[in-house]
Amino acid sequence: MRRMLSLGSLLILLVVLAAPMLAAAQTKDDTLVYALQSDVDTWDPPNSVLREAIILGYHVFDHLAVRDLKTRKVIPNLATSWKTIDDTTWEVKLRQGVRFHDGSPFTAKDVKASFDRVLDPARKMTARGNHAKIKSVEVVDDHTVRFKTDGPYPLFVERMTALVMHSEKVLREKPHEWVQENPIGTGPYKLVRWNRKQEHLLVRNDDYWGPKPAFKYVRIRIIPEQATQIAELISGGVDIIKAVPPDQMDVIDKSGQARTATSPILRTAMLQLDQAARGGPNPFTERRVRQAANLAVDADAIIKHVLNGLGDRTATGVNPMAFGWDAGLKPYKQDIGRAKQLLAEAGYPNGVDVTFNTGPPVVEPAIQQTNDAIVADMAKAGFRVKQNYVGDNTVLVARIKDGKGGPMFNWSWGYYSVFDADAILYDVFKCGESYSYYCNRELDDLIHAGRSTLDQKKRAEIYVKAQKLLFDDAAYLYKWGLRGVWGISNRVEYQAPADEVDRMFLVTPRKK
Amino acid sequence: MKGYALRQLFQLAVVVVGISMLVFAILHVIGDPVLLLLPQNAGKEEYERYHKLLGLDKPVYVQYWKFASRALQGDFGKSWYTDTPAFRLVIERMPPTLYLTTAGLVAALAIALPLGVLAALKRHSFLDNACTMLAVAGQAMPIFWLGIMLIIVFAVRLKTLPASGYGTWQHFLMPAFTLGAFLAPITMRLVRSGVIEIMNMDYIRTARAKGFAERRVVVKHAFRNACIPVITVLGLQFGQLLGGAIVTETVFAWPGVATLVVDSIRNQDFPVVQCAVILLALIIVAVNFLVDMVVGLIDPRIRVG
Amino acid sequence: MKTVSAGGEAVLEARATAAPAPASGVALRRLWRFKWGAVAVFVMLLVVGSAVLAPWLAPYSPITVDIQHRLGPPAWMDGGTRAHVLGTDQIGRDLLSRVIYGGRVSLVIGTVAVLISSTIGVLLGLAAGYFAGRVDWTIMTVINVMLTFPFVLLALAVIAVLGPSLINMIIVLGVADWPLYARVIRAETLTIREREFVLAGRALGMSHLRIVFRQILPNLVSVIVVIATLQVARVIILESFLSFLGLGVQPPTPAWGNMLGEGRVYMLNSWWIATFPGLAIFVTTLAINLMGNALRDWLDPHMKV
Repeated sequence: MRRMLSLGSLLILLVVLAAPMLAAAQTKDDTLVYALQSDVDTWDPPNSVLREAIILGYHVFDHLAVRDLKTRKVIPNLATSWKTIDDTTWEVKLRQGVRFHDGSPFTAKDVKASFDRVLDPARKMTARGNHAKIKSVEVVDDHTVRFKTDGPYPLFVERMTALVMHSEKVLREKPHEWVQENPIGTGPYKLVRWNRKQEHLLVRNDDYWGPKPAFKYVRIRIIPEQATQIAELISGGVDIIKAVPPDQMDVIDKSGQARTATSPILRTAMLQLDQAARGGPNPFTERRVRQAANLAVDADAIIKHVLNGLGDRTATGVNPMAFGWDAGLKPYKQDIGRAKQLLAEAGYPNGVDVTFNTGPPVVEPAIQQTNDAIVADMAKAGFRVKQNYVGDNTVLVARIKDGKGGPMFNWSWGYYSVFDADAILYDVFKCGESYSYYCNRELDDLIHAGRSTLDQKKRAEIYVKAQKLLFDDAAYLYKWGLRGVWGISNRVEYQAPADEVDRMFLVTPRKK
Repeated sequence: MKGYALRQLFQLAVVVVGISMLVFAILHVIGDPVLLLLPQNAGKEEYERYHKLLGLDKPVYVQYWKFASRALQGDFGKSWYTDTPAFRLVIERMPPTLYLTTAGLVAALAIALPLGVLAALKRHSFLDNACTMLAVAGQAMPIFWLGIMLIIVFAVRLKTLPASGYGTWQHFLMPAFTLGAFLAPITMRLVRSGVIEIMNMDYIRTARAKGFAERRVVVKHAFRNACIPVITVLGLQFGQLLGGAIVTETVFAWPGVATLVVDSIRNQDFPVVQCAVILLALIIVAVNFLVDMVVGLIDPRIRVG
Repeated sequence: MKTVSAGGEAVLEARATAAPAPASGVALRRLWRFKWGAVAVFVMLLVVGSAVLAPWLAPYSPITVDIQHRLGPPAWMDGGTRAHVLGTDQIGRDLLSRVIYGGRVSLVIGTVAVLISSTIGVLLGLAAGYFAGRVDWTIMTVINVMLTFPFVLLALAVIAVLGPSLINMIIVLGVADWPLYARVIRAETLTIREREFVLAGRALGMSHLRIVFRQILPNLVSVIVVIATLQVARVIILESFLSFLGLGVQPPTPAWGNMLGEGRVYMLNSWWIATFPGLAIFVTTLAINLMGNALRDWLDPHMKV
């Protein structure tokens, strides 16, 4: 019997040990490990609103244009040059000799197919709103494309950085479901495999037209717990993590294994209030209640004490780095007395109950701690806030899109990395948009006017008006522009990106 | 033996059907799936439409029948969030959990068997008391705490083991130990009482009286018989082990089915919860069946009783 | 089909302990147990006392946020102040106050859940054991289904539907845990039923209810008390599991489990946030377990079936 037992346990042990070993083909030296808190929902970036999808998209796909991280200017990528033919026509020249991962060449018809797919209303692609000003795309020759726009389109160049180029052949031949899981791009890496909510393995595209990445493999691990991410980083299991809580930076910096880097990022955090009553009647449809909420919170103190200063207070959702930001508009200052008074005037002299849907710190460092502090501040003014934690960011975002965000919920907007006020106003403040819980026709007119002229001075004036309106009407509970905090292993060199798109193909081994 | 196996199989079937009913009842009778799927401001007509669409207007037994017959074919519906079949999601995540629980079981036995036997043989000695104390303390130790401590010591400070994840044998050590420590105290106590009981049995006394070497008595007679309660208990504890795996997987970011269940519960993704719970129950039941068979083989008396 | 686990194991172990052994050994062992039992009772008095007197004992409200004094270390460390003896947490709440109030939550959940489960379990166990036959078969089948099923998974499935909250957790833990009692009580009832005084009562024409509650139940009190005590510890641990996973008591209500979960990210610099609630769980469950063991020895050193 004992022999049987020990034989049995030996067998079990063998199975246990042998099974997972099949995976290890790469060595540590040629593999870079990047950790994300939350997985993508799809490998089809225009079909996702998640930051993770944008980041992963940059590795496997290319865009017509990209941002130079030093100058923050838009520079050529798959497009080599662009010019306006008239007020409503742009002509773009394409790079020659570029091939997709399946070997087929990249030409003008791929550009047309990529845009046509996103613009087709029947497909309901998430990114449609970003490009809706484009009326049609024409192939001039293999390497020239013309875009017809609906009126002047000042953001055309910026928006070229926000759509990945798919292969026309793939879009034609493969069903939609296939495209969601099998990215065929022209980018610096190819997807080897995707184990949902576990990891992605990317391998270098050795036929890449641009500079070749230093690391042959990139492993993108999904590690939901921040404590685990930090433990992994300082024990050498992971090379790059993001959204580190500011109060954990000392742990990383003192570890001798890794360091932190911060950068202001193009992302504004706020608590959306359901002014548009998408989830039915709620206290925030009343302006005075929204103002009271804004007046209740001491955001400056939260930035100072909880974020250790890593945040830039904003008067509205418009980020200081975005074109159109009004530096003259002063943010709300805490005034509990006034907040109470407004709440009483609005018909809630004894306070009001509110549900607050909160999310994990996927893109926003220390979100839970700041939420707790905000809730405590709001309580002083009479808001009895009940937090409801949704642990999965994908799900929270999906619910918000469906109108199930609730009267108040965590939200932050990364502008699709487009440095312009329009990139937040249209998506997050315009009537009827998926991620907007605010509706005000007056503002819609301003948004429309802002995207319909090429005159930047005029546009800036329009956005000043829009911000004044948003501030006075207290559309949402405004918080701050975020600063990203990265943890970086000492074995690599990496620059924290202001557009919040981590680019693993720019990471290099540190010289010893 | 055949009759015994059939009897056990029948019981097994009853248990499986019972569990599927239980899960179905929990998710369909207590909860209302429609409310979760609908936007908050949806009207009554829309509610009715969804209600019909999901087949909720039919009597409960019809719904259950439909659910059960589909489930038999591996069709548990699609995940409400990722649009993939729930069955596929669960099956993908099953192997890591099975490896982890097996490794945890091995770890628990490695701790509990020697200590339990020793404690029983040296009853009331210092060693025995120490073991008892250890077991009581071990039962009071929350395993997530133990897991976190292991990570801090072995990954962060000593940098000898990976802090989380799945892939090589090193990844197994800390989670397996954590899970093993969860199961070891109770196993040890059972081994101890099992061995004590058997050492007091007549035939062992006879063997001793006959002058067999103590070692031989222990190994040949006592151990073999002490195995029976231990194996039975391990079969039972397999369910507890899976419970412990939920926490262990969370602490070590282990990509198993337990973390999937927790995520799905947070997301209220019922098809996935349903599928995972039923499949796990099936595994537990199957393990119990195997255990009964093994015990039946070792001890013929049980087959009759 | 199945035999032992947690509470049942107490009985089984006691049975083994009760087997012949050197008299002095038993006495010593019992004394040793009682010594620890006394310590345990003292600790529990402290825990219960502080939980009851929380509003007077706790220096602050457990939910008062003070971000200017967040992450303050305990008083005896550099930078600690006597204003916050155990330090403050990630948003400046006083840890001592939170640990004290957290004990309230744990104890309330533990005792209420055990009251529910023991009531259901004892009633069903009595019914199964006394009436035997079809009643017994039905109840035993349900028990087997429940026991095969991992307790935690069941709790999770119910919480998925009801949503996480304190009340739901009490219900879940209470309703899911009864089979343990039922099985042990049934087995005991089966034997007591055949004893002379019961048979005599029946011959005298006493009603079933009277026999069950007046004659059988009093004989089972010690077994019930022992199992219930040990189960309180188990429920507290389970509660901390669920709260740790974010599926139990919801913040800002302090519970040891969710405090540990929230403090986890601070383990490497502000270790006290997670450590004190972890210690509280450990000490409390340890004390309850020791108390349960001592109680068993005291009430009925043989606890024989």
